[in-house]
Amino acid sequence: MQLRFLLFWNKLLSWNKFHFSPNFKAYGKAVRVIALLLLLGLSSYIFYLDVTIREAFDGRKFALPARVYGRALEVYPGLKLTPAQFVEELQALSYHERPEPSEAATYKYTLNGIEFTSRDFVFGDGPQVAQHLRIEFADGKVSRLQQRGSTDLDLPLLRMEPPVIGGIYPGHNEDRALLKLEQVPKPLIDALISVEDRKFFSHWGIDPRGIARALYKTVSGQRIEGGSTLTQQLVKNFFLTSERSLSRKANEVLMALLLEMHYSKDEILETYLNEIFLGQDGSRAIHGFGLASYFYFDRPLDRLELHEIATLVGMVKGPGVYDPRKKPEQALKRRNIVLQEMVGLKVITQAQFAAARQKPLGVVHRAPTGTSPYPAFLQLVHRQLQRDYREEDLRSEGLRIFTTLDPRTQHHAEQALTQRLAEIEKARKIPANTLEGAVVISSTQQGEILALVGGREARYAGYNRAVDAQRPIGSLAKPVVYLTALENPNRYTLLTPLDDSPLVWSQHGTSDWRPQNYDHQFHGNVQLRTALAHSYNVSTARLGIELGMNRILDKLPKFGIERRPPPFASSLLGAYELSPIEVEQLYQTFADGGFRTPLRAIREILTAEGKPLQRFPLNVEQVAAPAPVYLLTAALQGVVREGTAQSLTNWLPAELNVAGKTGTTDDLRDSWFAGYTGDRVAVVWVGRDDNKSSGLTGASGAMTVWGEMMKNIQPEPLQPAMPEEIEMVNVDPVSGLRYDEGCKAGMLLPFIKGSAPAAVMSPCGASSMDTSGARAETKPEGKKDAEKKNWFQRLFN
Amino acid sequence: MSGNPAVIALLDLAQLDTEAGHREAAGASLERGLRIEPRNAWLWHELAQLRLAQGQYAQAISLAQKSISLAGRERRLLALDWRVIGNARVAQGSSSEAEQAFKLATEFEQ
Repeated sequence: MQLRFLLFWNKLLSWNKFHFSPNFKAYGKAVRVIALLLLLGLSSYIFYLDVTIREAFDGRKFALPARVYGRALEVYPGLKLTPAQFVEELQALSYHERPEPSEAATYKYTLNGIEFTSRDFVFGDGPQVAQHLRIEFADGKVSRLQQRGSTDLDLPLLRMEPPVIGGIYPGHNEDRALLKLEQVPKPLIDALISVEDRKFFSHWGIDPRGIARALYKTVSGQRIEGGSTLTQQLVKNFFLTSERSLSRKANEVLMALLLEMHYSKDEILETYLNEIFLGQDGSRAIHGFGLASYFYFDRPLDRLELHEIATLVGMVKGPGVYDPRKKPEQALKRRNIVLQEMVGLKVITQAQFAAARQKPLGVVHRAPTGTSPYPAFLQLVHRQLQRDYREEDLRSEGLRIFTTLDPRTQHHAEQALTQRLAEIEKARKIPANTLEGAVVISSTQQGEILALVGGREARYAGYNRAVDAQRPIGSLAKPVVYLTALENPNRYTLLTPLDDSPLVWSQHGTSDWRPQNYDHQFHGNVQLRTALAHSYNVSTARLGIELGMNRILDKLPKFGIERRPPPFASSLLGAYELSPIEVEQLYQTFADGGFRTPLRAIREILTAEGKPLQRFPLNVEQVAAPAPVYLLTAALQGVVREGTAQSLTNWLPAELNVAGKTGTTDDLRDSWFAGYTGDRVAVVWVGRDDNKSSGLTGASGAMTVWGEMMKNIQPEPLQPAMPEEIEMVNVDPVSGLRYDEGCKAGMLLPFIKGSAPAAVMSPCGASSMDTSGARAETKPEGKKDAEKKNWFQRLFN
Repeated sequence: MSGNPAVIALLDLAQLDTEAGHREAAGASLERGLRIEPRNAWLWHELAQLRLAQGQYAQAISLAQKSISLAGRERRLLALDWRVIGNARVAQGSSSEAEQAFKLATEFEQ
């Protein structure tokens, strides 16, 4: 630009030189001064425009949304994985089936597996190059993993690329799925050039004939319109105003020229493709072809067919006028004009044209809302990021965020919640769509959040119940009481009798408290494990009061529950509110043998260039001794084996040895289930948003969701590592007396060494094994009562 | 340390990264291994060692305790874990606790 000015200036000077004459000396000087001033003014104005347009362009060019990835699937021989599940993963990564999968991101089925070629990908620990691979399956597992080549090479492990699960987008609610030019299908560019700007690749940013036409129309008093090149349209899009004036048009022309001077055609085209406005979804503006492809067709751009591409290109002229959902007829007409132009320029064949013309619009009925299929999880990630990063940076620095979300686990969680709530409503004649729910699933040892469901309509961003719903947790609080007791092996074992007779508790500052059991009965003396299995309130309350309320409530912060419940005895029974994710944290510690691992949704953050920025490493802290936690887990397994969660066996095999706890609150407002297997911890809440009665107990509501999803997730059985301080002792579950070691009758229960009943009962098998301890104690009578007294006295006298 | 070639490969990778001074990357590899075998006490031990080398003593102790909780009767591993705890205690300046840990380590080495 400056060069051109200099040339012009020189010309002016030379003109003066040749035409110099004394008569005109003064006049000439004035001309020169005026010209100089004009030029100065013009050039500083152009300079101003130049800065403005470059700022706008660079700003857009680099306003990269943060990209959020799910977990990268690790594939290795022995991994439980079916071919169908693997192909699902490939499709989520936008791999294509091809007869010969030699290009990146392609695959084909083989006799007993799949051949595929991976993509280049930059992980936190460095780049991973694309490889030609083969995977084979047998018996529901990966049986072989190979790198294909002149000689095939067995691989021990393959880390797949992680799926993109969402983004955090630049401001003004402009949403876009950023595309690189090479990702854009050629037919789209052909179509765009054909209908919008045929000379794009040769012009300087403007089309003089178009401008002349526009000028003529303006001068002759007609509307100002047309004549816009793609470059001009891009400029217009930067400074979105609908004002139509000559000066605006002049600015647009100048800026278009300036843009073309600074940037290459490819850069301009790429920005255009990402920038152009293509629709409105409530408050969210749909920008760029990448997102529009999802918005209208629910597929990535590179999977669109010709007629769909033409529809999108047709909308450039007016996204409102040619909206394929609201104005399908106009959209169809416009689409066919685009196709017509393409065939006219011979960028498609007559046959392609004829075929595409026949097709219906094919737009998806309901647009996927929001920026991620997992809005609840993404919101959690976003909030965690907001603690450490400026919102601006999140939306523009192109950060790459690696999260813990496992799409398959998430799918099972969503599906179980939706399906069970609908089934429950139907079976119990509850009005449809009145029940709501939330699910959190994490890995036991890593505390990684694998799935998070914020409500029934998991696709739609809204109230995130998994994180934001604060609900009374009811009996889910009981394990804290029992753990505190079991930490005292001299006084409490799983067999210790607890008093479940009526209780009145007076406490300053609150009215007398008379806890009731769910069945409105009192059960006399019950074993500790039975009181927990059947979730007896009265005996638990008495136990908690005995142990000391503060001692129990003081424990909560260690388990990651930061807010302290009110200092009332009812808090022992869970009369305080927590969110599902807080409950998840609490149970994670029980599941992990007393080690607390803070729940994590993010593993690491990289810059746009792939440089590690921040890692969230695995942290553990031992907050409870392993032996009492081992006993607690045994008791929570009793809840499932013979207690309130017995019907979980309708969903899951007994061999999983699930440990869990039901929770039901007053008037059946909240239905909870929290539990764990060998590798998964999960919490489910079911209730109503208006806090009215859901009509469900923990077992009839949340537990069934839990069972349904775990059935599909197929977790590992629970076999906690036995601490050294623990011994297994054969006892009569009814009397609580010890059997001889060789005795086949009885039940093996864990005890902290030295705390097991000392006396050996004889002869072996005298007690009735066919009566479960629980039932026997519900109706204590006759001989058993006498026996109870005996071991009671023996133990405590 | 593991019967799973995938885990062995990750342990090797972590070893290489540690030698090259890339401790963060080594940690990431060990975590990958733990996702495959979350109850592998050796992996927890390796992570404890790494945190010790990084000067994260509290984490080193916790991770070694975690390894101990899963080690069963593997005396060699138990000894190594107690050594990590001992060294971390020394670095933290709690000499009596360190001494206790070293004593246990020696017992398991017998």
